[in-house]
Amino acid sequence: MNRWLKFFLVVLLGLALGLVYGWVISPVEYLDTTPSTLRYDYRTDYVLMVAEIFDSSQDADQAVRQLAQLSSDPPVEIVIQSLAYGSQIGYASEDLVLIQNLATSLQTWQSNPGVLTP
Amino acid sequence: MTQVRRRNKGDDNLPRKGNWYLLTGLVMGILFGLIVSWVISPVKYVDTVPSSLRSDFKNEFRSQIASAYYSTNNFARAKARLDLLGDPDPIQALTIQAQNLLDIGDPTNTAYLLAFLTSALKQNSGESQVLPSSTSLSLTTSTATENTFTASPTGTTLTTTSGTPSKQPDIINTPTLRPSSTPSPTPGSPFILKSNQIICDSPLKSLLLQVEVTNSANQPIPGTEIIITWSGGEEHFFTGLKPEISDGYADYLMTPELVYSIQLAKGGAAVSNLTAASCSTETGGANWGSIKLVFQQP
Repeated sequence: MNRWLKFFLVVLLGLALGLVYGWVISPVEYLDTTPSTLRYDYRTDYVLMVAEIFDSSQDADQAVRQLAQLSSDPPVEIVIQSLAYGSQIGYASEDLVLIQNLATSLQTWQSNPGVLTP
Repeated sequence: MTQVRRRNKGDDNLPRKGNWYLLTGLVMGILFGLIVSWVISPVKYVDTVPSSLRSDFKNEFRSQIASAYYSTNNFARAKARLDLLGDPDPIQALTIQAQNLLDIGDPTNTAYLLAFLTSALKQNSGESQVLPSSTSLSLTTSTATENTFTASPTGTTLTTTSGTPSKQPDIINTPTLRPSSTPSPTPGSPFILKSNQIICDSPLKSLLLQVEVTNSANQPIPGTEIIITWSGGEEHFFTGLKPEISDGYADYLMTPELVYSIQLAKGGAAVSNLTAASCSTETGGANWGSIKLVFQQP
């Protein structure tokens, strides 16, 4: 067999071994992740938690701080996206109302002239 | 013959050419594969699950769960959310987090919420133990989306069924709110000091100010805030953070030189002039003991 052919076959073998090791045997591990990487259904439930807390505390600042864990997007956008996703996957109406109330309050919070926003 | 002899001489002078080029190719291939799998196209950090969160984010998640439970009193949902974190012992994880918060002064005031949820968890596990063996509580769902965490799919209820409980960790439902049997203080009744004793042979460490709070039915009350003051200082701590002792138990490590006063935040008798208890030993010496106060609603 041609030496070059043998060489490239062995390179391919090494490549395959490297990929198997890197993707299967010792892949990058799912450790120490942040809330921003959570799957969308978990993110939506996180927003629901924030909405549940907000429903009793009525503390919009606290809600904004909690939502900031998920994304650097404007809080109201995070909530509206979750509201849409929650509707799509069949959240109970009372839970959707909680999220809706949070979204409404955050819209008011954003337009509050006393609060400085970047 | 001459030609053959010349060739052999040349072979002796040149480096030997074996199959090293194959090894070189293999190493190059492995390196390239690792570069692809670790650098160019690594496993991406998307669509992760709460159990993979960094420990500080897990703490934040637990606090959120406890706050939401405090707001909604929806135990099944709180339990399902806690399960997502994958803690081997959720009660212990909550307790440790609450104690750590108290150690740093509880700046976010969430220790009480964590204790409240811990108590509910413990209460609930106690309930399931007293159920008849053929009866168990299970979550059932009529509609569910596979592999999608939904806090509230429609058509779900918490029902009592017979037989083996079903476990569906990825499918969470909106159960009918179950009544909470967590003991709570009788409204309006102040706490009285039922007993005040010095403990010299406690299995716990010495210098502890141990407090036990019970309601009128003598059931321990978790989550009771206790205010301890001394000259130039004040701290707050809560019952229920050591459920292995009692849901109504809390303790505080005293400093021998200080004189303390304590009172329950919910009102009742204040106990003052508390100092570290001195106990005599069999050999005639002395060592530090603990003080145990029991508060009860009449």
